[in-house]
Amino acid sequence: MKRRRFTLSQLLLSLVMILLALTMVIPLLNILAKSFSDPALSPSMSGLQVIPAGFSTVNYDIVFSNKVILPTLWNSVFITVVGTAINILLTTTAAYVLIQPGLMFKKIIMTFLIVMMLFDPGLVPEYLLVKQLGLIGSQWSVILVTSVNVYYLIIMMRYFQAVPTDIYEAARIDGAGHVRMIFSMVFPLAKSGIATITMFYAVVRWNEYFKASIYLTEKAKTTLQVILRQFVVLGDTVSLIGAQNIMDYNELARIDYGALKAATIVIAIVPILLLYPVVLKFYTRDVMAGSVKE
Amino acid sequence: MQRTNPSRLQTGLRRLRLDWVLYALLLPTLVYFIIFRVIPIWNMRLAFYNFSGRSAWTWAGLKYFEMMFGSPLMKEILLNTLIISLMKYVLLFPFFPLFAILLSEMRLNRLRKFTQVVSYLPHFLSWVVIAGIWISFLSKTGAVNQIRGLFGLTPIDYMTDKGSIRWVLFFSEGWRSLGWDSIIYFTTILSISPSLYEAADIDGASRFQMVRYIVLPALVTPMVTMFILNLGFFLNAGFDQVLNFTNAAVNSSIEILDTYIYSIGIGQGQYSLATAVGLVKGVFGVMLVLLTHVTSKRLTGTGVW
Repeated sequence: MKRRRFTLSQLLLSLVMILLALTMVIPLLNILAKSFSDPALSPSMSGLQVIPAGFSTVNYDIVFSNKVILPTLWNSVFITVVGTAINILLTTTAAYVLIQPGLMFKKIIMTFLIVMMLFDPGLVPEYLLVKQLGLIGSQWSVILVTSVNVYYLIIMMRYFQAVPTDIYEAARIDGAGHVRMIFSMVFPLAKSGIATITMFYAVVRWNEYFKASIYLTEKAKTTLQVILRQFVVLGDTVSLIGAQNIMDYNELARIDYGALKAATIVIAIVPILLLYPVVLKFYTRDVMAGSVKE
Repeated sequence: MQRTNPSRLQTGLRRLRLDWVLYALLLPTLVYFIIFRVIPIWNMRLAFYNFSGRSAWTWAGLKYFEMMFGSPLMKEILLNTLIISLMKYVLLFPFFPLFAILLSEMRLNRLRKFTQVVSYLPHFLSWVVIAGIWISFLSKTGAVNQIRGLFGLTPIDYMTDKGSIRWVLFFSEGWRSLGWDSIIYFTTILSISPSLYEAADIDGASRFQMVRYIVLPALVTPMVTMFILNLGFFLNAGFDQVLNFTNAAVNSSIEILDTYIYSIGIGQGQYSLATAVGLVKGVFGVMLVLLTHVTSKRLTGTGVW
């Protein structure tokens, strides 16, 4: 297409789009700026300000010295890492099996999986099951209850199918077993697909708060999102910070809860930001080629 | 069948013997679904029983269904669910292709990349985080009211205002998914052959005419698919979002089926009633998805799965 001059309509369009982008990025930058501001100055900060008022890490000092937040941060990391590992292990092996040509009962198994995807038994029947299994209060409840997502499994199958089958056949003739095939052929060849699905699972795991809030009954075992919700959404500052914890602090009078909330939000966002480049690299390039909606 | 065709049975058995590893690899996934999905489905019979934690459940017949359909609350909740779904899946819908078109019309590549990268980001934040950010921005002293102040308008406490709260859900949903959900339209636009534009250019078509006669027709198929797919979510209306944006002042305007099930089930311990509501919702939900799947397959050739 011929390149056109920078016209008035282009200018207007650019302005509209920049404005839209700013509505998405300013709130995040404002939270970041607030969290690094001096607690004496942050209460009067404008919601549009993206530069810290003064500079202080006191909010992070408080959060990281907190007896509740730091353990829950580790719990979140543990559940995300172990949970995603189980997700990927089951999803890749199942996808590998289900793309095998001539697999017996394939149709029955696929129908079963799709029924499982469509029919959600709902909150209470699942809660009763977790109770029956004796998993209430255990982190394995949250980890196991979402072991496989059928939708991601189907996307994974599409990725595996994109690998030319004659490569598999050649490896089979060379005497490679299925397990070796998965690790030495499928994983390397469908790398970008596995990276994409890993990232999907990890984001869901990290952001999960609802199941954690009902299954993890002890505060010591709960996750960051649950605590974040109590603190930021429900406004429960007392049980979170605790009188004791504040008293340890000689800046007692200077605490700004708004800024403290901001710091907690930033901590909850950072891991997502670490995954974000992977998202941009793989998802936008590959999955979209098959036009799949998440 | 097997008797008349013994060789087929034999080859089948041989395959099973050769491929047992395959079934062994699939086993953990199947066991997962049987334990964590099939048993809960079996637990759904609770809708017809009175719950008891220690002794056996006693038969209740249709008691809980009568309770559910007899409740005036139920009508209100269903209405809320449908209104919120309508706003999120129908009213918001045109903005995704529109955003994709505007994006594709941007000639400054760097600016376009920036807009894209920024617009995908909110999709990856949890509703807890989004609610946290929005609550502070919508508060009486928050950024939105500061901007209103510049125009001499009185501040509104959006989070506790019944008239505003559904729009808060609408806009926060748009904020979260505008970029991400428009990707499919954007890639469709990118796949349009450049020769079409060139031909239109030679014919002296304006940018607007190109969008009208080249881009829009290309977007029809993904739009129909996406629109139909959305219909399948109509009874959900976004549990995680509502749960994080709700509060005592506005709950009656945005209480949806799923939050109701949560509050009577886990909150009040009325397991049977919550299961009955969940069962009805589940059955209608599956019917909706199947209907949309068949319709979508017929109209566009792409199904839900």
